[in-house]
Amino acid sequence: MGARYVQRSVPFPLHEIRLVDASDRDLERISKDLGLALSVDEMKRVQDYFGRAGRNPTDVELQSLGQAWSEHCCYKSSKVFLKEFIFPVQTPDVIDRGDAGVMAFDDDHAYALRIESHNHPSAVVPYGGATTGIGGILRDVLAMGAQPIALVDPLHFGPLDYPFEKLPRGLKHPKYLFGGVVAGIRDYGNRVGIPTVAGCVAFDDGYLGNIVVNVGCVGFAKRSQLQRNRVQEAGDVFVLAGGLTGRDGIHGVTFASVDLTEKAVGGWEAGAVQLGDPIMKEPLIHAVVESAEAGLLHGLKDLGGGGLSCVVGELALNGGLGAEVDLDTVPLKELGLAPWEIWVSESQERMMLVVPPENVAKVLRICDLYDVPATPIGRAVPGKTCRVRYKGETVLEMDLEFYTGGPEYRRPVHALPVPTKTAKLPAKPRNLDSILLKILKSPNVASKEYVIRQYDHEVRASTVLRPLQGVIGKAAHGDAAVVKPLVDSWRALAIAVSSTGAYTALDPFRGGATAVDEVCRNLVAVGARPHAITNCLNFGNPEKPDRLWFFREAVRGIGEAARALGVAIPSGNVSLYNESSAGPVLPTPAILGVGIVEDLRRCVTSDLKRAGDRLYLVGTTGADLGGSEYYRALGIDGGAPPSVDLPATKAAMAGLLRAMAGGSVAACHDLSHGGLAVAAAEMALGGDVGVRLRLPPSDLRFDIAVFSESNGRWLVETRKGEEDSFLDAMAGVAFTALGRVGGNDVEIGRGGEAIRGALASIRKPWTEAIPNLVVVS
Amino acid sequence: MKVSDVRVGVLFIEGTNCEDESVAYFRALGARAEKVHLKQLTGDVPKAMARKLEDYDILMIPGGFAAGDYIRAGAIFAARLKWKLSKDLTDFVEAGKPVFGVCNGFQVLVEAGLLPGLGGTMTETPEAVLAINDSGHYECRPTLLKQVSRGGNAFVSKVPRGRVLKVIAAHAEGKILFPREREKKVLKELLENDQVVFRYVDDRGRYAGYPWCPSGATYNIAALSNPAGNVFGIQPHPERCFFAYLHPDWTREGGPGGLGDGSAIFQSALSYVTRKF
Repeated sequence: MGARYVQRSVPFPLHEIRLVDASDRDLERISKDLGLALSVDEMKRVQDYFGRAGRNPTDVELQSLGQAWSEHCCYKSSKVFLKEFIFPVQTPDVIDRGDAGVMAFDDDHAYALRIESHNHPSAVVPYGGATTGIGGILRDVLAMGAQPIALVDPLHFGPLDYPFEKLPRGLKHPKYLFGGVVAGIRDYGNRVGIPTVAGCVAFDDGYLGNIVVNVGCVGFAKRSQLQRNRVQEAGDVFVLAGGLTGRDGIHGVTFASVDLTEKAVGGWEAGAVQLGDPIMKEPLIHAVVESAEAGLLHGLKDLGGGGLSCVVGELALNGGLGAEVDLDTVPLKELGLAPWEIWVSESQERMMLVVPPENVAKVLRICDLYDVPATPIGRAVPGKTCRVRYKGETVLEMDLEFYTGGPEYRRPVHALPVPTKTAKLPAKPRNLDSILLKILKSPNVASKEYVIRQYDHEVRASTVLRPLQGVIGKAAHGDAAVVKPLVDSWRALAIAVSSTGAYTALDPFRGGATAVDEVCRNLVAVGARPHAITNCLNFGNPEKPDRLWFFREAVRGIGEAARALGVAIPSGNVSLYNESSAGPVLPTPAILGVGIVEDLRRCVTSDLKRAGDRLYLVGTTGADLGGSEYYRALGIDGGAPPSVDLPATKAAMAGLLRAMAGGSVAACHDLSHGGLAVAAAEMALGGDVGVRLRLPPSDLRFDIAVFSESNGRWLVETRKGEEDSFLDAMAGVAFTALGRVGGNDVEIGRGGEAIRGALASIRKPWTEAIPNLVVVS
Repeated sequence: MKVSDVRVGVLFIEGTNCEDESVAYFRALGARAEKVHLKQLTGDVPKAMARKLEDYDILMIPGGFAAGDYIRAGAIFAARLKWKLSKDLTDFVEAGKPVFGVCNGFQVLVEAGLLPGLGGTMTETPEAVLAINDSGHYECRPTLLKQVSRGGNAFVSKVPRGRVLKVIAAHAEGKILFPREREKKVLKELLENDQVVFRYVDDRGRYAGYPWCPSGATYNIAALSNPAGNVFGIQPHPERCFFAYLHPDWTREGGPGGLGDGSAIFQSALSYVTRKF
């Protein structure tokens, strides 16, 4: 077997792999030996290619294919569904769909958005995985020529109080993972100087073996500075800027494209997790944005998964040209790297600038001012071949279509039954007050202030609405953040996230659709028109048909809801193989939504403003309890999760935006986890004033009416004297007058039934639940 | 001097991350502000890009994590400043020109020995330290700052004594400490010299503990000046409340229009320069 790897007679490590005459078993073995994670069929395609070329491949070539053809890089299992359900969801405001999606902001400006996962590395090295997750998403947005202006982090862990003795062998405790991830986001995000303005933290047994760490970014640019992820003409120079290249992060994408087995964990720990350096990234962002603004670039792309091997191939292929690279010009962190290691290293903080020859000196000068290393390492050439040399020796020469194209599969799916009815409810609990308190201090609902305040959500001094809204010192969760990208315009961007693991596990179509419905509701709640979403899809092993069915159905739900609500999906990310010894991850679509605020002076926050103001419930409440926090509190599994009524949501969104533009809305909050009771409590806590609601008679059991998580609903406070204007704006929308702001309690009643919590007695449990769970006792 | 003639240099190195907004907001008040890399002041750049410190009327050191702050907040930036720019800085300060440090900039000024400056314009070793917050981690939250000085500095002419400003704090190391054995004496001296400028208060104006004072700073100190009053360091970020729409509670109080609380500090510095020079 050793004879299959033949060192070429050069004074550095370079092997030829005897592939052409290899048997299927040999092929499988080679894929394993080299850590390629390619199947036998895929290896046969490689064999066939080199057979026709009449030679054996080098290790550089095989490693390149392992990267380029990984699930992570080429979406081979997911693309067929994305093409069917997601890619067609576009609007005229979509400008580009590259490393990040690019959308129109106004006539002269655009914004970029993208979200992606960093689940596998964060599960193994939580601090390092989270830091490089941020680093990666910043580069995706930067790669469009845009200045990053906001970060978001949807996080999902196992229960913080999970008993150590029950933890399956080899798994890390949620408390450790949570602490490491939050600290990583804090230490990298705060240093790099981009505000972390939104996110969510969810806890469920389904994340015990596979945490879901997603990170999203929004960027902003003059349209004239936007870049494409491609070369433009032959002669364009590849300038590698930023961090040096080392052995960290080798095979990250291949480990991310297999289950998180004990062996994979070992691989990650041995060096597949990259090392982040925010103090290289911060000046790198300046240097790249300045080069883009000055019009010095022909193209741009970030080095992420697969390193140079992916970036060079994709830039050239997208530009319809070939590429040449001299690997020995790449600046290294350490001596002794083999050419293949340089070529696939995922060392962080690197960008590839495509520069016409006459601008190279100017670009290098800009980088030098910021102390950012920058080196020309190759060029675009006519033709369709990628050729890589190391010390004069050609180490890679492949056709780009073959190399970068990658396989695409339609793998089988197996549908599972979805619950269609409400799960059987126990008798209505006698003491609803104590259940409200229990839900308010449950980790999914409790205040996330402990996390939020460790992140700098204010840097860049343009955060207009924060993640916590209300009276200073008492603020509670808002629905969306708003940032103001231009000093001299009132137009702004609203940013929100949603994720729906618990619903998706029960009914993936509804889970996907609800994620869109919820993120749009969040945006509307602050006065923004939902404009674009980007999705991160965290699912299990696509080679297992039932797992793939979850994925397909969730994608179908997302596509359908986005289309109906009129938002574009210009970018997205898929994370598969989230499986460990504890089984598959809770299937989780996470969505970053961006809305346009026409005039931020009309923005609305979630905190109640004034005693005496009227409150209205917008939308219709049904018995939607599957996956709800109420069921969780009662220990009930199953049941149908909330359905969507997209036309109704759309009409309600339009009505609310009309009302807000007219100035009649004082506060607004979306109803989601914990339903009406939790929304009312959060609004009251943020405004530090009570609320008295009376529900109209209905067939729904009172506890269901209070805790149901039906989609398409908001609780709205109107300004005194503006009620008529509100009612006019809401013509044609289903809503109900519910009561008034006032007192010191959260109180909801119907007939003789009531649920109540005094602000003074719910604030502390709600605020301190997470810090109490996090502290190591 | 007119405001439009005031030249503001906003100094940065790698990891400084509040320079762009600081420049933008000085410009919003009509000043001629630009960001300037430390290398441009030390001559380590091509000639066309070089600048002289004396060409500026105000020097600002903005917030961020200069050089990563991996040693102690502000320590590396301060060491680089002292290494090549000691004389220029001393001349600048002794000429009475304002030096304005925000957050990490405050930490840099303390590490550089420019604040509190009891032992001279720029002391050999630091006289104080901005230590890790009592909570042990970064704190990003709105704070209320009471102007407690008698006005003997360049940064509060537009902020009457006793007025409380809303300003955003965002730091991991904001707890000012003085040598323990001399703490009382130092504090007394600072007060006599009118060097304590802002103190953290709660929503009822009391000198309260966490979270109103996010770090546990000695004597609730949020901002200090040097004895001459032209070097000023403030831990929370006035630029993050520069406009009313940046106030943390503008949807409840005051509305979104016009300048915000933080702008008064920028305006005071400009007014000081236009009156003096």
